[in-house]
Amino acid sequence: MAVLGRPPWRRLGACWGWWGGRAAALQQRQPPWRLKSTNPFTREQEQEWRRRNRTVLMYVAAAAVGMIGASYAAVPLYRLYCQTTGLGGSTVAGHASDQIETMVPVKDRIIKVTFNADVHASLHWNFRPQQTEIYVVPGETALAFYKAKNPTDKPVIGISTYNVVPFAAGQYFNKIQCFCFEEQRLNPQEEVDMPIFFFIDPEFAEDPKMAKVDVITLSYTFFEAKGGHKLPVPGYN
Amino acid sequence: MSTAMNFGTKSFQPRPPDKGSFPLDHFGECKAFKEKFLKCLRDNNFENTLCRNESKEYLECRMERQLMAQESLEKLGFKDLMDEKSEAKKNL
Repeated sequence: MAVLGRPPWRRLGACWGWWGGRAAALQQRQPPWRLKSTNPFTREQEQEWRRRNRTVLMYVAAAAVGMIGASYAAVPLYRLYCQTTGLGGSTVAGHASDQIETMVPVKDRIIKVTFNADVHASLHWNFRPQQTEIYVVPGETALAFYKAKNPTDKPVIGISTYNVVPFAAGQYFNKIQCFCFEEQRLNPQEEVDMPIFFFIDPEFAEDPKMAKVDVITLSYTFFEAKGGHKLPVPGYN
Repeated sequence: MSTAMNFGTKSFQPRPPDKGSFPLDHFGECKAFKEKFLKCLRDNNFENTLCRNESKEYLECRMERQLMAQESLEKLGFKDLMDEKSEAKKNL
């Protein structure tokens, strides 16, 4: 009964006598590359099939490797595509200053820009906006001020980042000059005015998704910077 | 910042400013112009359109004192104010 536990090609070995021996010899495991057919007429066909199988295997393997390579190459290619066509919003290369020169303010769309100021808990500065809100129109450059004071007795270096809410309006919010992403050093007991010069892209008025947006909030947050540490500026430059 | 775990929603990408960062006005050289601008804003109910002259003066102050890169005012969006000024000069 143990013969039933053996693989089918081995069961004949249980036969006694000469037959058993012959069958066992025949069914011994042959090396896998030996052709299966003993018939000379089908041997050629089998060789043909094997060759074809190998070709197909090569093609499939090449396609798999090609896919993996394409997925790695897609990242810089997509970036290039975004920069040339400007789709996807944030990676348009070149808000040239000629755009500022030629843009026309859209006078009928008034937008309220509110200001918010935050500091990180470890930075003991008094940082606040000098105006709570300002009414601008798209296409018009505007100036706004924040004030920061260092009440401690040591010079402190801070670095700031900003956020625009609603997020989708952030792509129309262009800062010409501000005080963010660069280290700003305040001496002890020093108070400075920090200006922001910005404008809202006139295309804001033509975007249907922005039709209901009337309030944009600009929020700056200051963090403490360890002196000399160069932080990467966000963006694909 | 944009730490909402929403896959697929557009998150906010902060962009560096076009002309870089303003150097800090440590000595308060342009403070008077800033005060004038803020007073104008408060008087006009925080409307930017009515206070553009004051903002132009503030930027001119900065440029004079090397606190800002020199740039022609047209490039900063004050073309209409420049046109008004040149027309007023012509009419004189």
